[in-house]
Amino acid sequence: MALITATQLVKTYAEGATAVRALAGVSLTLNEGDFVAVMGPSGCGKSTLLHLLGGLDRPDAGTVKLGSDELTTLDDEGLTLVRRRRIGFVFQSFNLVPVMSAIENVALPLTLDGVSASVAEGKAKVWLERLGLGDRVNHLPDQLSGGQQQRVAIARALVTEPVLLLADEPTGNLDSKSADDIARLLRSLSDEHRRTVLMVTHDPRIAASARRLVFLKDGVIVDDQNLSASLDTSSKVRSQLEALS
Amino acid sequence: MSVRHAVLGLLHQRARHGYELHAALTSLGGGEVWDVKAAQIYATLDRLAESGLVREQPGTQSGGPQRRPFELTDAGLTELRSWFSMPVKTGYQRDEFFLKLMLAITSGVQDPYSVLRTQRTSLYRDLHELMTHRQEASARAALAQQLQLEQAVMHVEADLRWLELIEGRLDDMAKQTTVEPAPKPRGRPRKNPQSPDGE
Ligand SMILES: Nc1ncnc2c1ncn2[C@@H]1O[C@H](COP(=O)(O)OP(=O)(O)O)[C@@H](O)[C@H]1O
Ligand SMILES: [Mg+2]
Repeated sequence: MALITATQLVKTYAEGATAVRALAGVSLTLNEGDFVAVMGPSGCGKSTLLHLLGGLDRPDAGTVKLGSDELTTLDDEGLTLVRRRRIGFVFQSFNLVPVMSAIENVALPLTLDGVSASVAEGKAKVWLERLGLGDRVNHLPDQLSGGQQQRVAIARALVTEPVLLLADEPTGNLDSKSADDIARLLRSLSDEHRRTVLMVTHDPRIAASARRLVFLKDGVIVDDQNLSASLDTSSKVRSQLEALS
Repeated sequence: MSVRHAVLGLLHQRARHGYELHAALTSLGGGEVWDVKAAQIYATLDRLAESGLVREQPGTQSGGPQRRPFELTDAGLTELRSWFSMPVKTGYQRDEFFLKLMLAITSGVQDPYSVLRTQRTSLYRDLHELMTHRQEASARAALAQQLQLEQAVMHVEADLRWLELIEGRLDDMAKQTTVEPAPKPRGRPRKNPQSPDGE
């Protein structure tokens, strides 16, 4: 079932005297439980697309429909509520509050929304445990590794139980082992928790852990493919896998 | 690498003699990459003609396959199109993909970007399969298995990086690529010691 549908999104930024067309007519539908990677050369509009899907910014033309809500017609307050309650964001730089512990960071979106600290921290603890950080709840961000900090950021994005998780280069600042862990985590969110996940990445292995791959180029989608069509797997890879199992 | 499809692609451009095909195919590979014997091309032409994918151009005198111009049939074009639409599935064999790309550029049957995307999707599907296996297996798999899986992953990554490089240069390639020797005048070719039919 369609969770979010973007139709003919156009976004232009003023760049001094000239205008940069970041998106030139992008249409995209994400279904519930999808795990989608977005790739493309630097500057092709990936972050812009993510911002428009998440209501962080508004398109010049086109529409974004999340469930029954048309984001482009909401006022600023309405959009803020959608961002706060229905969408989770994860960025390359983890954006944790340095003076707050892991659990306080994760609870923050709920406490900001008026939920009591004890209820919020109860939910925060559940997510930290799910993400393998049960023994780190009282650590400050600078007492955690990069991979752990990003997991705290993901827990924070999920604590409001959003329907959609948007991640912009979530492994961009991580070593390859931590990047793998994050990729596996995002996949399990979609496999086991039926979250819809869209992530932007440069890294082929991270992208390949998604089930669908979208390529942007010069502000338009040039390719959109399902990766789990396993019949198509080449015989060489198949026989390698068989030999290993 | 598929000499069969190379011949079909070159004949789609225009009718050619066997020796012209040999020279054109050699220049497609940059002169060194593909070592195809002229005799192999003549044999391929005969087999393609038997299967109805090419035919002798009507109204030409018969002679050896070196001298007879062949042209593509409708069935040949269908076969060529279906080849272009398939990713190359011979493991990490890159030659055939490169040939396909060059022929897409020169024949105009298929947008070279779509040939590239088809191959990229296929590689990403392989990588998806490997990563899925790796994520499921890594905890219990023996180190030797993990390392072998890692090798397979790295091969696919290398091919993807190579595709990315090609994508950035595709327009330049299209500008540079010529598969001639320039068309010879029709009729009996002049004796020429430089001509490539001297094998
Ligand atoms: N706030 C902004 N002001 C001006 N130009 C911008 C802004 N954000 C993005 N751009 C431009 O829009 C284009 C697309 O940017 P972006 O979506 O960030 O690309 P990507 O994430 O794929 O690297 C780029 O040319 C970029 O310079
Ligand atoms: Mg970006």
